[in-house]
Amino acid sequence: MGGVNGMVWPRFTKGALMVFRRDFLSWVKYYRSSVLLNFGEPLTNLLALGFGLGAYVTKMSGDPFVDFIGPGLLAVTAMNAVTFDMSFEAYDRLNENGIYLSMITAPLHPAEIVGGEYLWEACRSLLYGLVFLVVLLPLGIVHSWWALLLPLPLLVTGMLFAGPALWVATAAKNHEQLFYYFTLVVTPMFMFSGVFFPLAHLPVVIRDLILLTPLVHVVNLTRALILGQFPPTLWQDILWIVGYTILFMALPGRRLSRRLTD
Amino acid sequence: MANISTPATPAVAISARGLTKHFGSFEAVAGIDFDVYEGECFGLLGPNGAGKSTTIRMICCLTARTAGSLTVLGEPAVPGQRTIKGQLGVVSQEDYLDPALTVRENIEIHGRFYGQSPEVATLRATELLEFMQLDGKTNEQVRSLSGGMRRRLVIARALMGKPRLLVLDEPTTGLDPQARILVWRKVRELKAEGVTVLLTTHYMDEAQRLCDRLVVIDHGRILESGRPRELILRLVGRECLECPDIAPAVVDGLMATLRPEDEAWHEWQSDSWVLFSPNLSAILDRWEAAGIAPPLSYRRPAGLEDVFLRLTGRELRD
Repeated sequence: MGGVNGMVWPRFTKGALMVFRRDFLSWVKYYRSSVLLNFGEPLTNLLALGFGLGAYVTKMSGDPFVDFIGPGLLAVTAMNAVTFDMSFEAYDRLNENGIYLSMITAPLHPAEIVGGEYLWEACRSLLYGLVFLVVLLPLGIVHSWWALLLPLPLLVTGMLFAGPALWVATAAKNHEQLFYYFTLVVTPMFMFSGVFFPLAHLPVVIRDLILLTPLVHVVNLTRALILGQFPPTLWQDILWIVGYTILFMALPGRRLSRRLTD
Repeated sequence: MANISTPATPAVAISARGLTKHFGSFEAVAGIDFDVYEGECFGLLGPNGAGKSTTIRMICCLTARTAGSLTVLGEPAVPGQRTIKGQLGVVSQEDYLDPALTVRENIEIHGRFYGQSPEVATLRATELLEFMQLDGKTNEQVRSLSGGMRRRLVIARALMGKPRLLVLDEPTTGLDPQARILVWRKVRELKAEGVTVLLTTHYMDEAQRLCDRLVVIDHGRILESGRPRELILRLVGRECLECPDIAPAVVDGLMATLRPEDEAWHEWQSDSWVLFSPNLSAILDRWEAAGIAPPLSYRRPAGLEDVFLRLTGRELRD
């Protein structure tokens, strides 16, 4: 029963690949509505704020406003695609339709379920991020060939945001509690992570607080790659992303394990 | 010298000794002993909250025991035990199916969870869909299935891993009579192939039909164990007289005629008064002679339901 009292790290085994496969088979059935759901909001933001509000804001750190928010919204799209799936969908897999239960009844370990979910969320992040990139292309927002490197940070971003959301799903007692995660964590992060305005003019305390959250670093990295502008502090963003990804990775395993075998 | 003679008892699939499970201060399973032999169908009967589901969860390596020992297919059962789980098929009470996947995908992916190759999983799924008479539905979404079809699919899924031990937790609850008969037939076929079956059910006719041996548990303890026929004869006798819609005053009059040598006992089952006695013919003759025989009554063989009610009482549980 090792692991009940310690950390339960995800296991990326053959069994985890089968969990990934289940998610993929399920997604194939719904991808049309799923893609639309995940793009509606960021696309609306991009068009309304980028071109509507952007007509008044004109320049943001030297770039047109829409160029500034486009790459940030790409990071948000990736985060949201992962967070919705790992909160509401994972909650149902755990509590409503017994999908995780049938997995551990067959000889899968909870750590393999987490591993499989991470693999799938990495792919979701990649997929939804890239489709958003395709939307940015004709709008003339992609300025650099460095954007070709985006798959790498997108894959990592999927893993980064999967852990906390799955932890929330295993802790929540009902759907309403999942909304708290969005209202108290996801939405504030979305508003204050430098997606819509640069952090440079904020008071130092607030800026430092924001720099302790993960999304801002992903936004900085995607913006650097898409605009081809590399601030000297970018290596710090990369360190934060990698650090948080590793730190969050072991977050849901133990609780999921306890929920399934108690 | 080592004893080289062949064992007199058949091989044991499940062995529980002093098996105990606490949830906080609540004792769900209070130290039970039983053996399930390989190739038999073993019943775990009891009212709601008796400790059946907790016992099953311990056997399926889904929850840890608090005390005692539990060996399943030769291995100690603890959570995460893969050797046991790999040889186990489980039909849970709820019809948990993956709503996004088709009928075939639902069970194929389950085979893959057991480590089967795509070819093996496909082949096995085809066989089992046919076996459970679902082969006309393979590509449908599971939400379009009727209750009986969902149940059959859950059973097919439990068989994907070619289990040595099949755990059926109320397999026929909510099924129509045709579907129940199909499930019974399939259980017998599996038993004939040597699969060990552990069954819980609230239908005593089902337990009587399918179980080779059974235990009745309540409040986490075993009340009785044995073969169905043997339990019936020992605890309630061969037959009984059932009198529906009879007035308590009339019953008092009938009771007054009973003698110690009748070894009679009686109970109310819903609105029916039921009298059990090895001497039933003599009692009926006596009533006939006295002209007090109840007009609406019938003799019937005693069954497992009578045993169950006698052991666990009549009050409602949840």
